[in-house]
Amino acid sequence: MKTLLCSLSMAALLAASAAIADTQTIGLSWNSKTQPLESAWEDYMIAEAKRQGEAAGVTITWVINVADADPSRQASNIEDLITQGVDLIVARAEDAGAIGASIRAARAAGIPFITFDRASATVAPEAHVGGDSFDQAVTTGQAFADLLGAKGVQGQCIELQGALTDINAVNRSKGWAQVVDARPELTTIAQVPTEWNPELFRSGMANALRANPDANCAFIASDFAITAVQAALEEAGRWAPTGEPNHFWLATQDLLPGAVPLMEAGYIDVSTTYDAFKHAEELVRVAIALHKGEDPACGDDGCLAKGRVATPETIATIENLWSKTYK
Amino acid sequence: MNTLATRLRDGALTHGFPLVLLVMVLIFGGLAPGFLGLANLRGMLHSMAPIVIIACGMAVVVMQGKLDISVGSIGFVAMAVASLLMTEQGWPVGLACGAALVIGMALGALNGFVVVVLRVNPLIATLGTMIAFRGLALQITDSRVIVLPESMRGFGNLTLGPLFADTVIALAVLLAVHLLHRNTGFGRTMTAIGNDEQVARRVGLPVGRTVFLSFVLSGFLAALGGVLSAAQVGSVTTFLGRGLEFTAVAIVVVGGISLFGGRGSILTGVALGALTFEIIRSGLNHVGANPYFYQLIGGLVIFIAMYAAALRLKRPTDGA
Repeated sequence: MKTLLCSLSMAALLAASAAIADTQTIGLSWNSKTQPLESAWEDYMIAEAKRQGEAAGVTITWVINVADADPSRQASNIEDLITQGVDLIVARAEDAGAIGASIRAARAAGIPFITFDRASATVAPEAHVGGDSFDQAVTTGQAFADLLGAKGVQGQCIELQGALTDINAVNRSKGWAQVVDARPELTTIAQVPTEWNPELFRSGMANALRANPDANCAFIASDFAITAVQAALEEAGRWAPTGEPNHFWLATQDLLPGAVPLMEAGYIDVSTTYDAFKHAEELVRVAIALHKGEDPACGDDGCLAKGRVATPETIATIENLWSKTYK
Repeated sequence: MNTLATRLRDGALTHGFPLVLLVMVLIFGGLAPGFLGLANLRGMLHSMAPIVIIACGMAVVVMQGKLDISVGSIGFVAMAVASLLMTEQGWPVGLACGAALVIGMALGALNGFVVVVLRVNPLIATLGTMIAFRGLALQITDSRVIVLPESMRGFGNLTLGPLFADTVIALAVLLAVHLLHRNTGFGRTMTAIGNDEQVARRVGLPVGRTVFLSFVLSGFLAALGGVLSAAQVGSVTTFLGRGLEFTAVAIVVVGGISLFGGRGSILTGVALGALTFEIIRSGLNHVGANPYFYQLIGGLVIFIAMYAAALRLKRPTDGA
């Protein structure tokens, strides 16, 4: 009898503790995982899940798969996550249109869905988490205007735009334009479309420099092609670090790995990070909110994580800067 | 009177496009005085250099009524390998660039094999290799941006007298390919194949060998263009060579080289075609045009050139 009572007590205790321990299994579907950025995102997500999960009393576990840039494979990977009964699906879509079918399938199975970094163009998920490209340009522009104002420089800037079919590129151009309209320290004297093609970064910048000899600054929609801009400035004899008389003032977006040493050396004056850490932090916050049945309080465009402004003076102190950590 | 009208019409059809180009130059020059300066001309020639070389290879293939749309991907693969040899294996820049050229020839030979031996339509064959080669290059580079060594980057802006080194190389290649086309048996066979491949076979011309070698040459020039393009921008990115095949075809078409083969001059055709697109890009840049205009104007120019070519083909004097 004693043994039976003891066993029943243990079972009741276990059942009670199971009811108290709150667990969440997140299925993460990568479209591809070939770049350091994706590894950084994943590492930060796992670390943040532990940190924020402990604070919220939720034990988060992950089931992760990779689609090798194949939309149909990503759809079947997500189907696998649904079959495994995960509590939430997070997907970085390979195809913004095709991901809609997976969102529908998850919804039919009662599993909430978060699109990450790339929004769905067809079906709205429970939440979208990504970077805030408009804010990225605004914060860079503001910091750039402050810097030039402090140096007594009237900025005559060349704007190197991204692909005008890319919403991030369009948002960055709009953000920059908003700052230029508001700040007397900045003027855009030439706009150059690059289609995200480094060769057009180089030739467009070189053309713009020849057409506008008075240009003294540039806003670059992404610094992934910074070496192309460097080549154009070298051709024009304007590639010099800050403090040199022929320094060309540069404001960039993203602060990707290739740009980090150039900012540290004083060639790039201001940038706002494309922030893997902030994206991951926001994703986990939204995931926990959905798990608890709370409103994640996203804006119209989703839960957009803002980047952090970096300058040669501050870059050394920015924590969790993936472009410095993941070489 | 009729003769005068006919002469004017023929003159307009023959020289109409260069005249339109001249008008464009004058308009851009009027709106932006710096456009007509020597510095800008030098800069335009510098920017054009890689695509002129790639378009020369394309012209050799097109002259035979065929297409090679894998040229951009060949340039990417060649430079992907070369950049890793330079940055990770410590190869000297010159040796790594030599390897890139050999890779270009090998990939061109693969195209030639598929077209000549397996008898696959050149458009389909090179469409397949275009996709496969790009996938290979992405795999090789892990889709990373590979920053080139300083010596390679320095070559991108190296000058020889008043011209950039890559401009000199492009002019030499253009002249060499022109002479190959006009002054050698290989070139005459190219034209004969373009005019009528069956007839060329019947008269005993080495059709298969010529087509094969033209793809090898196209691959070699694609790799050379890739080397110069990467040197100019200082890095190898996943964008290297993307869309270059279509730009090269557009240059060839705008330059008056018939897509059906057998007609056109490589020297003037490639030079005129490449200059046209560079003038548009530089001119719009100088006048501060709306960025959305660039593609619109580029597409319009291709349409006008194709229309002019179609009208020329309908002329009785060209009808043979």
